[in-house]
Amino acid sequence: MTTGVQAQDATVGSPAPRLKGKATVDTLSIGCLAMVMKDGKLRRAEILSIKETKSGRQFYCNFDNFNKRLDEWVPAARIDFSQDVEWPSPEKPKETKKAAAPVAKKTTTGNKKAQKRPAATRETSIISEGETPHPWAEFTESQKATPDAEGDVTMTLDLDATPGADDDAMDVDDAAADAVAAKSQLNRDFNDEEEKKRLRHGGSMTQNQAEISRIRNISKVQFGRYDLFPWYFSPYPECFTQEDLMYICEFCLSYYGDLKSFGRHRQKCTLLHPPGNEIYRDDYVSFFEIDGRRQRTWCRNLCLLSKMFLDHKTLYYDVDPFLYYVMTTRDKKGCHLVGYFSKEKESAEGYNVACILTLPQYQRKGYGRLLIQFSYELSKIEGKLGSPEKPLSDLGLLSYRQYWTENMIEILLEYNEREEKCSIDALASQLAMTSGDVESTLQALKMQVYLKAEHKIVIPAHLEARHLAMKEKQKTKPKRVIEPGRIKWRPPIFPASTRTWAW
Amino acid sequence: MAPAQRVVRQRKLNKSTPQSVLREEQIESAEYDSLQNQYHVETGVERSEENEYHLQVALKANSNGSEKDEVKEIPAPPAVEGADINYDELYSLEFHQPDTYIRFSDTVEEACGCPYDMTTEDDVFLKAYNQKKTPSHRCSEDKFEKIMDVFELTAQSHAPFAAVDNTVVPFDKMKPELIKQEMGDSTAPLRANVAEKLITLAKDIYEHWRERRQASGNNPLQPSLKFETHQENDDGDPYVCFRRRDVRPTRKTRARDVQSTDKLKRLRREIEEGRHLVALACHREELKRQVINTDKLIFEARAKVKEAKVRLGIKGDDEDLINQRPQKRKVSDYPQMQRVPGTQLRLPARPDGRPLDADLVMLSDVLAQKENLLQREIEEKTLQHRKWNANHIDLTREPLSPVNGHGPDTGFRPATAQYQYLMTPPSSVTSETFDQPSPAQEVTEPAKFRYNSPEEDENRSRPAYRRRIGRGGRLWIDRRGMSSCVKTLDDEIRSDRYKYDQDDDDEQPVYEMDPYDTRALKFRATIPFPAHLAQNSRRVEPNRPAVQSPPNSRTAAAPQPAVAPT
Repeated sequence: MTTGVQAQDATVGSPAPRLKGKATVDTLSIGCLAMVMKDGKLRRAEILSIKETKSGRQFYCNFDNFNKRLDEWVPAARIDFSQDVEWPSPEKPKETKKAAAPVAKKTTTGNKKAQKRPAATRETSIISEGETPHPWAEFTESQKATPDAEGDVTMTLDLDATPGADDDAMDVDDAAADAVAAKSQLNRDFNDEEEKKRLRHGGSMTQNQAEISRIRNISKVQFGRYDLFPWYFSPYPECFTQEDLMYICEFCLSYYGDLKSFGRHRQKCTLLHPPGNEIYRDDYVSFFEIDGRRQRTWCRNLCLLSKMFLDHKTLYYDVDPFLYYVMTTRDKKGCHLVGYFSKEKESAEGYNVACILTLPQYQRKGYGRLLIQFSYELSKIEGKLGSPEKPLSDLGLLSYRQYWTENMIEILLEYNEREEKCSIDALASQLAMTSGDVESTLQALKMQVYLKAEHKIVIPAHLEARHLAMKEKQKTKPKRVIEPGRIKWRPPIFPASTRTWAW
Repeated sequence: MAPAQRVVRQRKLNKSTPQSVLREEQIESAEYDSLQNQYHVETGVERSEENEYHLQVALKANSNGSEKDEVKEIPAPPAVEGADINYDELYSLEFHQPDTYIRFSDTVEEACGCPYDMTTEDDVFLKAYNQKKTPSHRCSEDKFEKIMDVFELTAQSHAPFAAVDNTVVPFDKMKPELIKQEMGDSTAPLRANVAEKLITLAKDIYEHWRERRQASGNNPLQPSLKFETHQENDDGDPYVCFRRRDVRPTRKTRARDVQSTDKLKRLRREIEEGRHLVALACHREELKRQVINTDKLIFEARAKVKEAKVRLGIKGDDEDLINQRPQKRKVSDYPQMQRVPGTQLRLPARPDGRPLDADLVMLSDVLAQKENLLQREIEEKTLQHRKWNANHIDLTREPLSPVNGHGPDTGFRPATAQYQYLMTPPSSVTSETFDQPSPAQEVTEPAKFRYNSPEEDENRSRPAYRRRIGRGGRLWIDRRGMSSCVKTLDDEIRSDRYKYDQDDDDEQPVYEMDPYDTRALKFRATIPFPAHLAQNSRRVEPNRPAVQSPPNSRTAAAPQPAVAPT
């Protein structure tokens, strides 16, 4: 629908000096920054695409400091034309050699400012999309935070570009911008290459995204009993972008744009559960282990599906080097996919999770915690400390933080009771977490203090209270947990010949 | 790490250092606040997204805990239960959960039948087509899909670049493929009328297929993912996915080198061991053949001897004709025989490291092993008991001698680990009966005696034993090389007694004991009469005198009253 349009406009978000001025519906072009109504508030938004509909022209907006999953098509009526818009910089610092233009994404120059806005404004705008009942919890994965990765570059870019920028002082950074832009351009290209090189051998997460993939391409998906509204771009066959509704078979995850085809497929499809070995079963969920090499089609389908909800997942390379651990619920129709995490067969960085996702229809029901716990139980069986691949998504971070916090508080309270001392390593080995994750969680929760020439761990009162409240609640309504005894799994061993991922 | 204004310089935090764990109320709160470290916490979220508004709100809510009612969730587009989904019709199969964990390896392709799924367009065509035909010539949807699938596959293989050069694969090329598919696995050729019907049908569908292909720019009809075709063009195309990965280059390190050398060495060693085993087995079989040959020679020689004897009328000396030795050996080897099958079977399995064979545990092995273990234990105990009993003297007047037979050999045998060899029975006794009096029984007996373990005198000459049958069919064990211990006894009274025992060793020693003493009676009653003894002595007795007790050994002996052998 919009694919042709935005590709050439890769430099939209570059921090180069921007002209400001009044615009009209007709002059407003891709790359402009305008004030757009979102949840009853005007927010700065970047126009990423424009389309004509029967009801008039619509603009695809990415809102400042809002996650991309909240991007949406807005009619002209929601745009405030009484305020100046910022025009895209006329000169293109790089020719469109690559449609991949993280630059645009980094439009976020504005982000910094939005943050500095008075808190009041923010709080009020929190309610978000009117009809949306905000499910939460997609757990995303990871990839190590390569220091030279895109994110960093843009970071410096932001910093450089907006020294002491106050709220709307977009222009302030103009001076520095040219040089910075040029420099960062170089860096970026280099980093693209770097990242591809890294991914060539392993990994599932990317920090780079092509410009085109900034725009959601599938509008609605029928999956089992549910209608899903994708959050992000996913490289399903391009013709599906024309369809109002895409059909995905709940069991083999094949995709159809045509209802008749889908119906025919359903008559032939015999799968009733993920095509692998069940390695865990309790009365609530089952886990299946699936080898990306053996079940290439199924795993590719799974990746395409999950890409709709995972921003930084990369499908650039194939699924062979991964194992997929798929969580399902059972009923008389079969084992329904709830969520999954993938795991590298051989992770150089010691990651125990590559991508992790709970499907939107199952979010906010505690399934994410089960997935995370399961990943650590596997690590315990392997006798390794694990960590999710970076970058994490926002929802991934929250889920992991929650899991880490709960488990660490639990253990620390016991230590406190026994008046024993506890080291970071001890915590790490009990939870099969890397000590880095333990340390950062302690710091994030403000538990790590330096007192009387000694490092100490302090359990904040509110966390203790929350933990006790949770315990109390569990007495009446027990929390679902993975029972390690039910896991029937041995770490798979892959001989060198099967680790050759180039087919 | 520490902010610039901090006066205290922190020591570096060591991850393995135990830290005290305190609750917030255990420290002064003011202090706590001031101690809050301004760490930069690695979140793992991409930098540009780290500051996203909803995430920050949620994180703040989590770490402060103050505003509990704060919305902690990050808003996301919802998923809703579809209103107009006819779920039961679409998903008509029923799932029956097996009791055991599911094991499954079919791929999607294998589980989904014909890969071509007819579209709405096809449906329209097929319905129109079927309407025109008589029922017998109608085409089912399955059939239609199969044919379409053949077209697609054939087009793909015959003209992979059809989209570029617009090649249309002619129907003639489709025919053989169609026939092939119709035949499936069977080798019998299709009947002519079936083939003809198929071809006419396919011909009609071919036109439809060609039209559809042309309409879609001669691309495959089924939507498919974009795979890599041309590196340069593909690179920026986000629709191109699932590229091949490169093999992770293995880094050459010293450790890796050592590893592979070790691996090679081990491999070589294992192969060597295997070879050695085969050689040994070969050798063993050769020996066996020799044995058989020798046996045969012996047999033939004996046959001649017998013939000669018969011819010459010689009687007696028939032992030569009987194979004595093997029998003897069989018995004397008995404990080893037990051990041998076990060890021999296991030996090849273990060192050659072939897990499959090693895993195959034979019941007989296990039994043999157990038996051996038992046997060894028994032997040990027996030895120990022997040690304890070394200087034991039964002071009862008519001591029962529950002695278990040592060999009927004439001379004394050293009482060493060779113990079992002494068990050779008289030739008339079968090995089976001899099995019973095996040391196992002796072990149980000693428990009934009250032993004192006498001090071991190292200087003493090696003890030796012999067994013989005394008067009244009693079995005796004579010991040698232990008399000194008696002399060392301090007990005057006791040594006194022996003064009179010297004259005749066959003489029953007379002890001052009241034979009707209930204690002695009771004690004796606890001694079971060994079954084998009853059998043995009865059977053996008649010819014993001839075989046994050469007088010369007796003179050297300082015979002792019989004692329990163990």
